[in-house]
Amino acid sequence: MKLSTRLLNLLTAIGCFAIAGVSIAYFLINEKFEWIPESALELVREKELVERPDAKRCSECHKDIYEAWKDSRHSISWTSKTFIEASENRTKEKCLACHIPESVTGEKPSPRLDRRDEGIYCVSCHFVNGKMNGPYDLVAPPHPTHRNPDYVNSKFCGSCHQKTFKEWKETGVDDTCQNCHMPRTKSRLTQKLPLSLLHKKKWVGNHKFLHGDITEKDILIEAEFKERFFNFSLLNKTVPHGVPTADNGDPRLYLYITFLNAAEEQIDQAKWILAPQQETALPFNKKMEFRYRLFDPVAQANIVLKYQPAWSKEKDMVWEKTFRP
Amino acid sequence: MHIIRILSLLIAITTIVGQPVQAKDMVIKEPPKSLAKFYPPLSEQPKWTQQMHKLSTHFGGVFINLKEKDFENVDKHADKLVEEYKKTSEMVPEWEEYFDIKAAEAFAAAAKTHDMAKAGKASGGLGKTCGKCHAEHQVAVWTKYHWPSFHKIKVIDPASEKEVDFHKFMKQISGSFKAMRVNFGEGQYGRAAKALRAFKSEYMELKSTCSKCHTTDDVKRFYVGGDASKAFEGLTKELNAEKPNPGNFWKNVGLVGKTGCKNCHLTHRTSSMIKEVWEEK
Ligand code: HEC
Ligand code: HEC
Ligand code: HEC
Ligand code: HEC
Ligand code: HEC
Ligand code: HEC
Ligand code: HEC
Ligand code: HEC
Repeated sequence: MKLSTRLLNLLTAIGCFAIAGVSIAYFLINEKFEWIPESALELVREKELVERPDAKRCSECHKDIYEAWKDSRHSISWTSKTFIEASENRTKEKCLACHIPESVTGEKPSPRLDRRDEGIYCVSCHFVNGKMNGPYDLVAPPHPTHRNPDYVNSKFCGSCHQKTFKEWKETGVDDTCQNCHMPRTKSRLTQKLPLSLLHKKKWVGNHKFLHGDITEKDILIEAEFKERFFNFSLLNKTVPHGVPTADNGDPRLYLYITFLNAAEEQIDQAKWILAPQQETALPFNKKMEFRYRLFDPVAQANIVLKYQPAWSKEKDMVWEKTFRP
Repeated sequence: MHIIRILSLLIAITTIVGQPVQAKDMVIKEPPKSLAKFYPPLSEQPKWTQQMHKLSTHFGGVFINLKEKDFENVDKHADKLVEEYKKTSEMVPEWEEYFDIKAAEAFAAAAKTHDMAKAGKASGGLGKTCGKCHAEHQVAVWTKYHWPSFHKIKVIDPASEKEVDFHKFMKQISGSFKAMRVNFGEGQYGRAAKALRAFKSEYMELKSTCSKCHTTDDVKRFYVGGDASKAFEGLTKELNAEKPNPGNFWKNVGLVGKTGCKNCHLTHRTSSMIKEVWEEK
């Protein structure tokens, strides 16, 4: 046999072994990880991962999830300017627990002492009893994992979003917080080779914890002029918690009405503030009635709805409407 | 140093060691500067309070174990008490003279005889040092480190949508309340109705302030809860009526003033007044 042929055969053999090896590894990791002995896993474990490292450390593998989280309000729950202001430079004892949680387990957490600038980070939400808890039954060579079905339940978020959770529960709607605020896409949990190839694609929840949008399909209005009054109603048709909703933040909807006469001159104006802290937020699927007394004849009412998040002093337009008698 | 002389409060301070000093006038002095490093934001935790828990655990531990005749632990707690007491005495130099290390050592020695009567007797001297400091400083420390400041709270003025200081807002709401009453008294019902709108929207803004210090909505049953809502409904009803009924109107004014303004002042303003004196410097 020629040398080149021999070499080719050797390479083919190595290639076959490699493919077989990778296939076996792929098969083991994705289908039969319970066959992998604990002692083998011990060899590849990275010890610092179970010593409450910062989020950056997790990003070495979970890059996409990290970047989404970095862009979320959870990552700045401690450094947020508006939080620092409201908590009197973070001295109010009652204000720490949910903004720098040690560990989330379905109850109100307790505040932690280390790495406070990380806010609500990977370790807060996933590290319980020495393992990375998550929604999947899987094997992660670098660190121990534990499947906990609570990760896809609203109760998990309700550990801190206590008031919103209560509102949600009362609606009886099936959609969970995660369904709307952490929508899933089929993708990889890790972005580091070769791990990312060895693990099958899975559903990954969006760790940006999307804020959610409202339009005129979500907040409906009906209005009529009757005798000396302008009567109108607002209905939160789609969002299964108050709009807005909050625990200690103060998000608001501002509803402005300007009343014009036949010459299109402004003759009166009114304003409503719809805010959870004032107990005037719009509950799910319940019409809220409002009444405004008019003193002069009105030809037109222009209504504008604006929204201001808890962490901002700016308002965004939701919709505009005009009504005539 | 600023002192509130006028404030002579009858406050029963009952700690497990009891024995506050008998005094007719209570003086509330601003806590010493060097205490600050044992409270947030300079410290991550309220270290002074935690130190107090240690003292009280070991003090109490001596007696509990004496009762249980667990003498090994009696000795341990007695030693720990002296050690922590010494440590505490070095934390705040301005307070050094409140500590009597000899009294602590005498108590520990008495405890180690394992004779309950002796330990009880010797505890008096040590307990007195705790009680004296508590009587003179505990209220001040509560006010300084456990009461958040109303002076740092901003309220959104519902008309201009700008943030204003809390005390300015109080003056404003007080003005709207008055405007409504005066106009009603003069029979200017239209103007009274407009003043009520301003007053009510300002009152609703007050509700937004509770969550800057409180983490449960339960507190909103008070001052800004059902009683106030009913009173506002009553006021609105009268002012929307063709012929308002003065009796109903004034009854509801009284309700807002009492259950709303006055009761909240009684619970929240005392600490604010003390803080104000300290902040004036
Ligand atoms: C039970 C958990 C919990 C506690 C305790 C808590 N918060 Fe929060 N906080 C939240 C949650 C959840 C949000 C997000 C929803 C919202 O806006 O309320 C939030 C949001 C906020 C926001 C708006 C976001 C921002 O960064 O500006 C502020 C301000 C705030 N909290 C201040 C406080 C203050 C002040 C306290 C203490 C009086 C406090 N929080 C205690 C859970 C909590
Ligand atoms: C060296 C790479 C690596 C690092 C660093 C790493 N992980 Fe993982 N992690 C993995 C792999 C691989 C998986 C499994 C992926 C799969 O099966 O698709 C995984 C899975 C997970 C899961 C899913 C658990 C489940 O049962 O659903 C969680 C949660 C998790 N990691 C959290 C973390 C956190 C938090 C950190 C930082 C403290 C971290 N990981 C750091 C590689 C890593
Ligand atoms: C450890 C407590 C905690 C847990 C658990 C938690 N959150 Fe939050 N969340 C907060 C806090 C605190 C904030 C406010 C952060 C800030 O803006 O300062 C917040 C903010 C948010 C926001 C942004 C609100 C806004 O005003 O923009 C959304 C959306 C959100 N959380 C959704 C969720 C969902 C969904 C879950 C469950 C998967 C969850 N959170 C779990 C504490 C928590
Ligand atoms: C506020 C709590 C919270 C924080 C902070 C958080 N996660 Fe998650 N994480 C969740 C929840 C809830 C799920 C389940 C989402 C789902 O699958 O519907 C999850 C799922 C995961 C999964 C499994 C894939 C998936 O989406 O189901 C991984 C891996 C993971 N997280 C890693 C991280 C890493 C890394 C960080 C930090 C960069 C992080 N998480 C921060 C709550 C959190
Ligand atoms: C059917 C989808 C849906 C579900 C389920 C849902 N939300 Fe929302 N959420 C929204 C939408 C849309 C918004 C934006 C409207 C608004 O501001 O309220 C929103 C806003 C929020 C906000 C921002 C605060 C604000 O300004 O109102 C928080 C915090 C929040 N949701 C938390 C939760 C939590 C916690 C749960 C579960 C108990 C949950 N949501 C369930 C759709 C949903
Ligand atoms: C030099 C002053 C001083 C001395 C001496 C002192 N204390 Fe205190 N103690 C305080 C102050 C100030 C507080 C209030 C601390 C706070 O609320 O943060 C306090 C609070 C306490 C509390 C209540 C803690 C709480 O959580 O409310 C206990 C119990 C206590 N002290 C025990 C003792 C005992 C026992 C001794 C004596 C062995 C002692 N203290 C000696 C100043 C003193
Ligand atoms: C500047 C901070 C601050 C603000 C703002 C504030 N409170 Fe308080 N309040 C306190 C403190 C501190 C206490 C003492 C007990 C405690 O910490 O809850 C207290 C006590 C109370 C109590 C006695 C019951 C209890 O919780 O111990 C009630 C009721 C109460 N407040 C209602 C309100 C209401 C209603 C509002 C809003 C209109 C409000 N508070 C605004 C700081 C505040
Ligand atoms: C959160 C409870 C609370 C409620 C409700 C409340 N107040 Fe006050 N008020 C305070 C506090 C606290 C101060 C002291 C503010 C300070 O020290 O800066 C104050 C101060 C005042 C002052 C003195 C302002 C100044 O600095 O000269 C007036 C006047 C006043 N309030 C009127 C009212 C009226 C009228 C109402 C009812 C319509 C009312 N308040 C409701 C808590 C409250």
